[in-house]
Amino acid sequence: MNENEMMSEIRDANLNYLMLAQQMIRADKATAIFRLGISKDIADLLEGLSNLQILKLASNNMMLARFRFEDGAILSMLTDYTKDRALANSHTAILLSGQEA
Amino acid sequence: MEKANVKKSVVAEAEQIQLAIQMIKLGARLQLLEAQTSLSRERLIKLYKELKGVSPPKGMLPFSTDWFLTWQPNIHSSIFMNIYNYLVEHADVKDITAIIKAYSLYLQQIGHDSDDEPVLSMTRAWTLVRFIESKMLKLHTCSCCGGKFVVNAYDLNQNYYCNLCHIPSRAGKTKKAKEMTYKMVTVAA
Repeated sequence: MNENEMMSEIRDANLNYLMLAQQMIRADKATAIFRLGISKDIADLLEGLSNLQILKLASNNMMLARFRFEDGAILSMLTDYTKDRALANSHTAILLSGQEA
Repeated sequence: MEKANVKKSVVAEAEQIQLAIQMIKLGARLQLLEAQTSLSRERLIKLYKELKGVSPPKGMLPFSTDWFLTWQPNIHSSIFMNIYNYLVEHADVKDITAIIKAYSLYLQQIGHDSDDEPVLSMTRAWTLVRFIESKMLKLHTCSCCGGKFVVNAYDLNQNYYCNLCHIPSRAGKTKKAKEMTYKMVTVAA
């Protein structure tokens, strides 16, 4: 994958993310706020974006969505569950939903 | 959590019935329905029979806080409580709506299929919220991973390690779990 392809993939990911987020918010706002881990203000804003606005916002060579784990130690702990995948999922769920929006 | 004010409005009644249907489908017991809707006991029983095909189970609701502190229930309760708190704090929902939404999300989160009972039932989830509101249980931060877990409010919780950072040696090794792994292995083979 060369650099140009990579940047176009990023733009694709941005567009996908924004469209998915908007769909989720329109279907069930409270659930979407939880799943996306965003605040209500941002959810309201995303909900009202027009297609043109979404396109403009997505056509950037930088990722719009941020990785939700910032603590390396915790991330490595979660990825190092060897025995039970269900436990790793539970732990991830607790840690993610305990974070601030 | 207050009862919806009882007015003779058809729309209000329809809403109450919808709410009751939603709760019954999630497995709520009769006491919970009585506390959260303004419908009469007779109507609720009728509704329950119509949806489930059987009479609602009799007897008292589980009232002990200890259940929420044992290993597997504690993990599941903590998942539910974290979701619930997140919704209340950020998504501007409250009371029974928040409980229903959080409970549905919890079921999806644990990958629940409709064949077997989930670890945390709807009724237990509702009881848990009430225990937390009445400060018998609370959420405490694990000193290892920083996640919030359900603990007894009167225990000494300094240097608390959660059930996932510090898995008790015999945890989860039940007969059922053994059968499950056996099933998984045979499916994978």
